Amino acid sequence: MHIPDGFIAPQVYLPAYALAAGAWWWAARDLREGLEQEQVPRLAVLTALAYAVGLVMVPVPGGTSGHVLGVALLALIFGPRLAFLAYSLVLLLQSLLFGAGGITALPVNALAMGLIGSFSALGIFRLLRGSNESLAVVAAAWGSVVLSALAVALVLGIQPAIAHQTDGTPLYFPFGLTITLPAVILPHLIIGAGEAVLTLFVWRFAKSRKWVPG
Amino acid sequence: MSPRQWLTAYLAAVVAVSFLQDPHWLAAGLVLAITLSGRRRWVLLRRTLLSVLVFNSAVSLGYLLIASGRGGFSGDYLLRVNLRVVLLVFLGLWFVSRVNLAAAVSFSPNLSFVVTLAVGQIQAFKCVLRDFRLAFISRNPDRPALTDRTHHAAAQGQNLLEKSVHSASEVAMAMRSRGCFDD
Repeated sequence: MHIPDGFIAPQVYLPAYALAAGAWWWAARDLREGLEQEQVPRLAVLTALAYAVGLVMVPVPGGTSGHVLGVALLALIFGPRLAFLAYSLVLLLQSLLFGAGGITALPVNALAMGLIGSFSALGIFRLLRGSNESLAVVAAAWGSVVLSALAVALVLGIQPAIAHQTDGTPLYFPFGLTITLPAVILPHLIIGAGEAVLTLFVWRFAKSRKWVPG
Repeated sequence: MSPRQWLTAYLAAVVAVSFLQDPHWLAAGLVLAITLSGRRRWVLLRRTLLSVLVFNSAVSLGYLLIASGRGGFSGDYLLRVNLRVVLLVFLGLWFVSRVNLAAAVSFSPNLSFVVTLAVGQIQAFKCVLRDFRLAFISRNPDRPALTDRTHHAAAQGQNLLEKSVHSASEVAMAMRSRGCFDD
């Protein structure tokens, strides 16, 4: 669901950078002190996994892309701070190495997928963990994709209202909320199922190796 | 120019381009960037066009259909948005082709630490995936059944994670022995 470069108005991406900078500072605080030695290779592997699965994208009609995130997995294993930071790095590398996403869209993508995705995943997981852990993992992964998609659709959909010429011609993204909400969210209801399967698979692997916090 | 100066120039150019609305200025910026980017310019341009092709086509086509239906079509808009996207992506790919990313972010120990680990891991992933793919092809002269492919993919996925953790552990140990974890 990357927002591509060039579609977000500076009136949106500059304040988003300020917000994301605060969040990145908060997430990176005490990073090396808080990161246990054995966590480092696991974090590197799962970050690379998120990078790899995120590159398998299909364009969705609303002007963004559909793909699995991997952020729920990062959040469930490493917590939301590390997940947000790691996913922001994934987005940065994808934009610079493959032109997927972009530097102007980076803060919005990071806040939508990294921050909202990781916190929603963890919230749903904690809410449902007591009843059935596998179900909680599946719901967390699916929920994180759908809520991230909702945030992306909202940001994209407000662009024509924020930046347009006097005759109403858009300057950045052309479609309003009536198009972006269904166009972005509906495909992600299905993509979320793929995310859920992947997350459950790797979660079980991680649990069998005792990577998962108690 | 040092990597840090490249980073600063790149970020300044990105912000400036995002404010430009006149397609003529955007086209001039693209021509300038292509001219200055040296001998790899056509490779970079090709990669740029390939990476934006699908998404920009989807947005442009969608806009064409919807705006034409509503009677508010603007050719200037299509030109502006496509030129802006191509220029921004070209700048990004040019920047990465000229600058070592880890060196560019060396002002932040945390950032360079994470970038080094992740970029190294991505390279390791690419090698492992290529090896797996080639091994699978060489062992299956005929196309295997879907069930076999599913089982194989699951086993490969698990093996991939094991192998990746092992290689990432080695990278982390190498970084530790070189003082990367020390302040």
